Amino acid sequence: MIVEEPSSTTGAPPRETFVINLGPQHPATHGVLRVKMTMDGEYVVRAEPVVGYIHRMQEKMGENRTYAQFLPNTSRIDYLSAMTYTHAFVGAVERAAKLQIPPRVEYIRVITSELNRISSHLVWWGAFLMDLGGFTPMLYAFDDREKILDLLEGITGSRLTYSYYRIGGLYNDVDDAFVQGTREFVKQMRPRLKMYRDLVTDNIIFRKRLIGIGPISKEMCRKYGATGPVIRGSGIPYDVRRVEPYSAYPDFDFVIPTFEEGDSMARYLVHMEEIVQSLRIIEQALDKLPDGPVMAEKVPRVLKLPPGDYCYAVEAARGRFAVRIVSDNKEIPYRVKLRTPCLSNLSLFEEASQGMLLPDALALMGSLDLVIPDIDR
Amino acid sequence: MAAQEDNARVLKDCAPHVQFAKLDELLALGRANSLWPLTFGIACCAIEMMAAGASRFDLARFGAEVFRPSPRQADVMIVAGTVNKKMAAAIKTLYDQMPEPKWVIAMGNCAISGGPFVFPGQYAVVEGVDKLFPVDVFIPGCPPRPEALIEGILKLEEKLTGKRRWPIVKPE
Amino acid sequence: MNATAPQPPDSVSQQAKPAAAPGFRDVSASQAAPAPNPLAHLPIPFQGVDYAAKGYHVEATVAPDQVVAVAEQLDKEGLALDTITGVDWLAEGQMEVVYDYFHPAKALRVVVRTRIPRGQPEIATIQKVYPGANWHERETHDFFGIRFLGHPNLTPFLLPEDADFHPLRKDYAA
Repeated sequence: MIVEEPSSTTGAPPRETFVINLGPQHPATHGVLRVKMTMDGEYVVRAEPVVGYIHRMQEKMGENRTYAQFLPNTSRIDYLSAMTYTHAFVGAVERAAKLQIPPRVEYIRVITSELNRISSHLVWWGAFLMDLGGFTPMLYAFDDREKILDLLEGITGSRLTYSYYRIGGLYNDVDDAFVQGTREFVKQMRPRLKMYRDLVTDNIIFRKRLIGIGPISKEMCRKYGATGPVIRGSGIPYDVRRVEPYSAYPDFDFVIPTFEEGDSMARYLVHMEEIVQSLRIIEQALDKLPDGPVMAEKVPRVLKLPPGDYCYAVEAARGRFAVRIVSDNKEIPYRVKLRTPCLSNLSLFEEASQGMLLPDALALMGSLDLVIPDIDR
Repeated sequence: MAAQEDNARVLKDCAPHVQFAKLDELLALGRANSLWPLTFGIACCAIEMMAAGASRFDLARFGAEVFRPSPRQADVMIVAGTVNKKMAAAIKTLYDQMPEPKWVIAMGNCAISGGPFVFPGQYAVVEGVDKLFPVDVFIPGCPPRPEALIEGILKLEEKLTGKRRWPIVKPE
Repeated sequence: MNATAPQPPDSVSQQAKPAAAPGFRDVSASQAAPAPNPLAHLPIPFQGVDYAAKGYHVEATVAPDQVVAVAEQLDKEGLALDTITGVDWLAEGQMEVVYDYFHPAKALRVVVRTRIPRGQPEIATIQKVYPGANWHERETHDFFGIRFLGHPNLTPFLLPEDADFHPLRKDYAA
């Protein structure tokens, strides 16, 4: 389809543009995302994301499932950081039911959430570099990720969509093999990060692809509600773990990596630094891991929350994930609202990608770290 | 008679070096050992598909690591994830664009029957991708382990050639 | 909490309850004083809310024709848009539109609610103040049928392009 548009600034002869579809089946969209791009040659005139191709009615299912039955759904919203999403939901229910959570549970939740964050960032790193054309880092990243998955499989039984947290605590306790294995993993991951830096971050081709590409200003982040590495790569140190501390995070000493430039390289560096900080948190949590039960006392078998609405927010790997439960004193919620980070992060893509070259627009989209079922729910 | 004995002796001498087979079997063996999948990861199962192609589980051993983004170059479509009604038209187009011979592997519970997203009153999910086009291998799991995907590919190879590449290991 | 037949799960030991370690919110303590309202200087009827119990800091219920003005004032305060959603109160014949905002620098979660009649669910869009509202309002329209007046593109967002149903309404039957 060729549309003739007159040039608005100079009165030059009209340009020809054409509309091309990126997706929904595309190796670089990381899921079923369709972007209707109006192109002027290789330049993007307008990129309009079309979503809904993996809409799985999670919020409608929330109105058809009891609180405990909804737990598997939470893992499948963003399957790469599934633990943190389950954390938000059980946190909301526990907040509403005023359950006192034992400290050991909070520490184990932090350890498993941070391991999940590292594995999510590793997948992002491998897939992002594949978008840019480098196939090797994916193999390294998945090798490290398999070690994390072995650890988590030992305690949860699942590799990807864990439903490990329960309302009031955990499914089961961690054993010594997990603690020892996690310590060894932390020890061997640090040299690997140095290797990744030498292989990728200091690579001149990589730097030329990303530095200065896709600048997102602080104001744009605020207006669109972007969170996670997007807002931290634009200079605002917003992290739910620091601003609205939850679980055991106030106990740990970690830095919120923030970079000022706002380009794709800044978002990349935020991700890599977050892996370093997650390793720090895991070490501190393992050192201070308290003993105790792994389930709260007096969790009712039939759970009904008092009427009203309750929110709980966590810092998932992609940004701020919040659950709002509206209850009318029945076993099933009246409404479950899932505030997902990728929806807000992608909503600024249309404005941010105007006038960019197509490969640069894809680098920008990769640096936003999208998981499409997170947008569609 | 002498010519026939000659022929028989020549065939016997050549037997270690020359094999005769039906063209069909040869083609089936070639196709089975180099199934090129279409990169069609929809949801969570896609990550286990990527893990199967990555370093530890390594689909390259079976000739199937070359994921083709274009359906025109792919043999097998591994439907990994939930298909919903908005996506159904697109996935049918992809299936139609693949050239024959083509196969479909339905990976994961969602592709087999809608998975955990089926409940009375659901409005978005197609309950099983075999409602759209024929499926050759079903791999259950939510998500199935990468070893399960490899077993599914071996089953597809068995369907093509009639023989199984590795024996099934019986648990002790 | 409606604790009908509370049975402790099998894995709970019968020791004394461990004291809350430093840094943990003691959720059992109730706040004697009313929660503070950091936005008291704005002409919006905000009330402080117990964050530990509910998960947000202030909330207000406003009339539907004030949501744009509220959005402009919160924008001046430097708040970011978190999400917009709806709740279908079938029994009361109303739909509630809930606007969530958060501050990127300090702990401030703001909830603004409004109620519109279910028979004519229309409300002005805040898309000119917060461009991020574009998608949230499209999604709310998809799920509930709420029309956002002035929205440039109120077409189906998560549902198929030709969808004419609103699935999260309480009287929706597939």
